[in-house]
Amino acid sequence: MSIALTCQGLARSFGGVQAVKGVSLSLPAGQVTALVGPNGAGKTTVFNLITGNLRADAGQASLHGKPIMGLKPWQVARAGVARSFQDLRLFQHMTVRDNVLAATEPSGWFWQPGGAASRAARLARAEAAMEAAGIAGVADARAVDLAYAERKFLSMARILAAEANVWLLDEPASGLDLSSRTRFQDLLKAARAQGVAICLIEHNLDVVMALADRIAFLDRGEVLAEGEPQAIMRDPKLAAIYFGDRK
Amino acid sequence: MIAYLSNIATLAAIFGLLAATLNFMVGQAGIFSVAHAVFMGLGAYSGAQVALLLVPDPFLACLAAAVVAGGLSLCLALPALRVRGEYFVAASLGLQMMAVTLFTEAKGLTGGMGGLVGIPQPRIFGVVVPVLPLALVALVVFLLLMAAMQRGSFGRTLGAIRDAESAAEALGKNVAVAKALAVAFSAAGAGVAGALFALHLSFVNVESFTLEQSVLIMAMLIVGGTGTLLGPILGAVLLLSLPAALSFITFIPPTDIGSVQQIIYGGAMALLMIFRPAGLLGDQKRGRSEA
Amino acid sequence: MIELQLLLGGLQNGALYALTAAGFALIFGATKVFHVAHGATFTLAGYVFIGAWNAGWHPALGVLAAMAAAVAFGIAMERLVYRPIGRHEGGFFTVFVAAFGVSIVVQNVIAMIAGRGFANVDSPLATATEVMPDLFLAPVFWISIVAAVAMFLALTIFLSRHPAGVALRALAQNADLLRAYGLSSGKLSVLAFALGSVLAAPAAILTAMTSGINEAIGNHVMLISMAATIVGGVGSLRGAALAGLLLGVAESVVLVFLDTQWAEGASFMVLFAFILFRPSGMFGAAVAR
Ligand SMILES: Nc1ncnc2c1ncn2[C@@H]1O[C@H](COP(=O)(O)OP(=O)(O)OP(=O)(O)O)[C@@H](O)[C@H]1O
Ligand SMILES: [Mg+2]
Repeated sequence: MSIALTCQGLARSFGGVQAVKGVSLSLPAGQVTALVGPNGAGKTTVFNLITGNLRADAGQASLHGKPIMGLKPWQVARAGVARSFQDLRLFQHMTVRDNVLAATEPSGWFWQPGGAASRAARLARAEAAMEAAGIAGVADARAVDLAYAERKFLSMARILAAEANVWLLDEPASGLDLSSRTRFQDLLKAARAQGVAICLIEHNLDVVMALADRIAFLDRGEVLAEGEPQAIMRDPKLAAIYFGDRK
Repeated sequence: MIAYLSNIATLAAIFGLLAATLNFMVGQAGIFSVAHAVFMGLGAYSGAQVALLLVPDPFLACLAAAVVAGGLSLCLALPALRVRGEYFVAASLGLQMMAVTLFTEAKGLTGGMGGLVGIPQPRIFGVVVPVLPLALVALVVFLLLMAAMQRGSFGRTLGAIRDAESAAEALGKNVAVAKALAVAFSAAGAGVAGALFALHLSFVNVESFTLEQSVLIMAMLIVGGTGTLLGPILGAVLLLSLPAALSFITFIPPTDIGSVQQIIYGGAMALLMIFRPAGLLGDQKRGRSEA
Repeated sequence: MIELQLLLGGLQNGALYALTAAGFALIFGATKVFHVAHGATFTLAGYVFIGAWNAGWHPALGVLAAMAAAVAFGIAMERLVYRPIGRHEGGFFTVFVAAFGVSIVVQNVIAMIAGRGFANVDSPLATATEVMPDLFLAPVFWISIVAAVAMFLALTIFLSRHPAGVALRALAQNADLLRAYGLSSGKLSVLAFALGSVLAAPAAILTAMTSGINEAIGNHVMLISMAATIVGGVGSLRGAALAGLLLGVAESVVLVFLDTQWAEGASFMVLFAFILFRPSGMFGAAVAR
């Protein structure tokens, strides 16, 4: 089992608020690591630090052994880290197909390298991703016109199409009904089987227990515990924090 | 009468090109500039100098104009695009106001206030050609280029950046490069329009490249509707016929005609934004959100 | 000595820029509206004062009229332009174009009524006397400085002591939170526009007394306000005021080397240098996008 992404001692404060203090994590390939913790624990901030959306005050991160700290978000993405956003950030006025196609076209230049053959390959990749995410039927609808669950799956389709080997997913399953949630879980299981290292921020413990190989418990910017799901879930101290009756 | 119509048609094509290229920057890429007349001016002066000093070849003049305007636009775009959208507007306004001074003072290149006079008529293989067909060709070429980009991956990239910049970055897009390219392309188009403008009038001075001109181009775009391909052309035609229409209204004293025109442009911009934000031809649903 | 003369002239100008820019920054901070028609507020206030003066009104009445005009214009912009646009979720672009359009209308209506070109009032306060060998100062110099400091102090006290001022600062921090506490952000926006606009009036009046104003001065004021807000650091009132001062001094000091038409270029260079080397401005915190 190889480690795809690691970070050590990530720290970041906003004004006086120390949002993340010394977080270390490693994401093994082919495993789902769930990042859980109460609201405001700093989960999203950890993602932002890894992807370069925020500059870290301290700490290191490396992808397959290569340091990625200090890289721009697009450089981190091209190195093979795909992420979703808590607020989705879909390309509202573009069609679903264009949203997904955009994920297959990293170059910001006037045209993409590779000519017609690679264009056909990208289109095929996008169609496959839409198929897998179950949104092929609405491929020509604009993102802004989609229903809630469809938007969530569009966000997943973009990630599928990006063909990254590390996924950072920020509450991708929140608000899904049971059948959509099952579909979502199947999607992640398939990716895991292909060796993708997945980090999943999730509040729903059913989803966490169904998917997670490991859990990292974050509170007030610190990783309080990390390990097997069963062990973490049995810890009464963590449960107290999570369910809000902290002493 | 024919001469009058052909003059109007030529100007319509030139300003259509200006409005359409500004639309590319604003509507497609979501980058807002009030300095389009500066790039038009850079192109006009370079085109005019090519015609005056080298040969009156319109293609060479347009090429020089595109390179100068597009190239110099990068000097503004690369730094100003790294930061928030408001900064670019502020920087472009500053540039617009400073460029007028620069154009006035760089007498060697621009002729200063007096401008460049006696620009020879364009010739292709020694034959004099009117500017109208050239302007139409330029307009069509740029429209086709923009349509192709809009459908292709670059259009998707710009659309993605406009709708959700951070998500575009998270998909590996170098946002700064894409935006700078959009600005350079748009400025190059404005430069070509400027060169044709200079060849058409055979005279240019700084008066044509002031903030008022940028406002006029912007008003054309707003009236026609951002984000559409043909809207800006419609806007150009409408606003260019405005002075002629106003000259029929006899009770406006001639000294105030300029002010009345500006009031109409400004009023149209404000009212459209309040009541019909996507312009006359635009997709209203889209104008309503974050565009 | 010319340097000192220019420096003091720059301070006088800068004090007025600081007031205007603080008004812009206050509005931007509290309502997130990039109020580019702030330049039009300035022009309007200046011309109202000149009109009152020429009509033989008492100067104090003229000052009041100018302030009232500024406030009325600011509130009208909020109610009639920004709020309807905000209701249909217009973005930055929509707001900018609308405000810019209104500025153009104001500029040209003034040109039609008052005529194009510079207008000013001949006040004895603007007559310079030699205070030191080769150093000329007019009473307006002191008035400008005192007015700027006094208004800025009053504003600071209002924002930190008065409940409405505190609410305004809270609005700048987090509009949703404020709404949750049942405070009307609509009324507070009006307050922000009124306060921000009134700050432009003294600057306009004093400029009309000294160098004079023309119908197009709003463009310059707009540039200065935006530049000062960015240079000072978006969200910082103190920063905008200091940056306004800096821009005024820069525009003046550049005259040691260059002719007057380059004064505006100095502001642009300062703005551009900040965009290049310190995009977060003097007091701004870096914000995640
Ligand atoms: N860009 C920012 N500027 C200022 N403060 C921030 C910023 N981003 C996050 N914070 C603060 O950092 C803390 C952690 O926020 P974060 O969004 O990482 O929490 P989270 O664990 O993702 O919470 P949730 O479950 O609600 O999404 C919060 O107090 C938040 O207010
Ligand atoms: Mg979060």
